[in-house]
Amino acid sequence: MSGSTRRLVVDPVACDGVGMCAHLAPDLVRLDSWGYPIIARDPASPRDERQATRAAAGCPRRAMLVVQRRAGG
Amino acid sequence: MTADRAISEVGPARAAAGRVLRAVGPYRPAQRWDVLPGGPHVFPGVAPRSLPTAQTLSAHLAELGPRPRGDRNLVDEVEALGLTGRGGGHFPAARKWRAVLDGVRTTHRTPVVVANGAEGEPASAKDLALLSTRPHLVLDGLVCAAEAVGAQDLVLWTHGGNHALHSVLVRALRERRAVLDEPAIRLVSAPDGYLSGETSALVRALSGGPALPQFGLAHATSVGVEGRPTLVHNVETLARVALVARAGAESAPRTSLVTVVTPGRRTVVEADEDASIEAALGAGGWPPGPPPQAVLVGGYGGSWLPWVAARPLSVNQLALRSAGASLGAGVLAPLPGDRCGLVETARVMRFLAGSSARQCGPCLFGLPALAGVVDALARGRAGRRDLRRLDRWTDEVSGRGGCHHPDGAVTLLRSALGVFTADSARHRRHLPCAGIGGAPLLPLPGWAPA
Repeated sequence: MSGSTRRLVVDPVACDGVGMCAHLAPDLVRLDSWGYPIIARDPASPRDERQATRAAAGCPRRAMLVVQRRAGG
Repeated sequence: MTADRAISEVGPARAAAGRVLRAVGPYRPAQRWDVLPGGPHVFPGVAPRSLPTAQTLSAHLAELGPRPRGDRNLVDEVEALGLTGRGGGHFPAARKWRAVLDGVRTTHRTPVVVANGAEGEPASAKDLALLSTRPHLVLDGLVCAAEAVGAQDLVLWTHGGNHALHSVLVRALRERRAVLDEPAIRLVSAPDGYLSGETSALVRALSGGPALPQFGLAHATSVGVEGRPTLVHNVETLARVALVARAGAESAPRTSLVTVVTPGRRTVVEADEDASIEAALGAGGWPPGPPPQAVLVGGYGGSWLPWVAARPLSVNQLALRSAGASLGAGVLAPLPGDRCGLVETARVMRFLAGSSARQCGPCLFGLPALAGVVDALARGRAGRRDLRRLDRWTDEVSGRGGCHHPDGAVTLLRSALGVFTADSARHRRHLPCAGIGGAPLLPLPGWAPA
């Protein structure tokens, strides 16, 4: 189990495939064949947490969200 | 995985013979439809093979008696019946109602209840059949559901393009307003698109936006129309609510409305939950004689099943789910022996790619890319590289849209690659396939009459 209770979520409607998130959070986000983000895994360390926050803050479309993981989810 | 099996048989890519696509030509859209009564339940009094007319309010009340009030007991009855959403998702109805009641408690806002009759699936006619023959059954269910969750805002959401249906519904609502003491029901026209019936698109449209799917972390049951808790049910689900309210879970009908697609015709039948697919197809006009090669189960986001697998399955969600399929929106489309499943799938994939809301990357780029590869496969032009891409792209598209549109397309595609393995191998070797002579089967909008 990871120590984090937060996870990254993409709003696919808002996302335009700019790709900033994959630069800012290379451990958590990879890009698909068309340049749209795929969340590879949830943050599991303080370093991951920093990447997640940076990716969410750095998205020019405000399409990357850091949300509280739901209980049991 | 089935897709892997199909892909391991890739032959050398050669110049296309291009013969297999001769099957695609002008097509008469399946505008004709029948309703067949399957039991004394949802479609009583409808003469077989006749174009039905709408039952009047007085005939409806004379047959079933007055509508009981919807209350918390109704939630339990709906749960006891195990009623699931007939729009395609098959989510337990009672759980949705409880989620709306929870949403009301936490948000302190009054809920909205929507009857969803926007049947975007071109192969399906069951919601159209139900609304045109038994509008008051659906409206009874809508009012019962609204009473059970304490809603005053009632909406009937249907395609505006169907003028005949629209006037039936206007007449039905007028009849009720003159006689019954119940909250007013707002009739709202949906655009004719494939995605107009998607819950988040409907919520967005009723909140003043475009009828396109939207992304939200909260479900419509807690944050829906104008941010209020919203209960959205398919019209068949609500018709069943009206029957449960009258008869109780014990004697409510355990049936499903199913659309059987035969060349040029859609036939709506009411199938008992233990009726086999074979029996349902027979009732829906599939002629005795040579069996179909395969059956498309659920709809255009559903799965192809080979005939031997599909034939004995019961027409209910539990049985179909255990076979790896879903009853979905209730479509059963048997593929005649002289049609090509890959050509049919390629046509539907093109339609699905074109029906995307063009909002999310995976749908906007992924679906046309996938449709292109299936098209190349159907034309015998797909190379080894295309098939490797197909595998990667289906994985990349699945589960990544704002709605489930891309997931349905991927389900259809994967099942086609699994079931039509032999055809796929023949196409790659440029041998003529079984479908060379037949006209297209599956109905799509916009095909010119032959």
